Amino acid sequence: MNEEMYIQEKVGKRNPFRVPEGYFDNLTAQVMQNLPEQPKRRAKSVFMRPVFYAAASVCALLVAGAAWMWHPAAEVSSAEPVQAKAVSQPQQQENADGYFDEAADYMMLDNHEIYAYLAESN
Amino acid sequence: MDKRKEFESIVSEYSEQLYFMIRRIVLTHEDANDVLQNTFLKAWNAYDTFNRGSKLSTWLTRIAINESLDQLRRNKHMASAAAEDLSVADSLMADDFFDGNETEAMLQEAIAQLPEVQRTVFTLRYYDEMKYSDISKILNTSEGALKASYHIAVKKITEFFKERD
Repeated sequence: MNEEMYIQEKVGKRNPFRVPEGYFDNLTAQVMQNLPEQPKRRAKSVFMRPVFYAAASVCALLVAGAAWMWHPAAEVSSAEPVQAKAVSQPQQQENADGYFDEAADYMMLDNHEIYAYLAESN
Repeated sequence: MDKRKEFESIVSEYSEQLYFMIRRIVLTHEDANDVLQNTFLKAWNAYDTFNRGSKLSTWLTRIAINESLDQLRRNKHMASAAAEDLSVADSLMADDFFDGNETEAMLQEAIAQLPEVQRTVFTLRYYDEMKYSDISKILNTSEGALKASYHIAVKKITEFFKERD
């Protein structure tokens, strides 16, 4: 028997998922209520991603270097910047774009700040 | 028409369709509602850049699928840290918002074991009966690769059931 037919005859295509009563009646209003008044365009672009990765690498190196210099035999200081700590977390490669977006949001850096940071670190 | 009013009519038109597409991936109502809200938030924030020459449903579905897969990854990360180890089928049978029988719950478990692309292609093709040409635009993958993914998914699901017969 055709395998797809096997599944269809065994299980069917009925939708077994239910929603709370009135969910769809109120949904549009609820969605609109949660939206900002105007679209908030994010200040990032695919073009800037290599710069972002470079900035993230520089951050990680600086934190590691600072930690080694201040406490060569001890643990990394708990006072390290939240941004750098977020960057030093290991990231899986299977969805680099998704994690990049999360990192961008977390660091809350825009293009202007990255340029400024890179200029200072040179 | 005012931009917000325009977007409101889009939400009204597409929310139910998107909801169930999302729900079939993330499985619980709570997660589906969260993902749907995030989908429309992202769509709203990118609304000015939406290319009016493209199909709106394709654009929205692409955002919804990406948000759904992100939610799955978050759930997987949290599940690995938690002690709980209930099977997908058992969780669904205990869910007030699932009224399927055990076989339907087992199908969801079989789908949940598939890798992301196969899982997505299977649900869009099997339940939404979406054309490969449309899925190709949503996932930015060739029709040939999608057909292969679907074929593999069907094979795996069939084996899943036969092992338990």
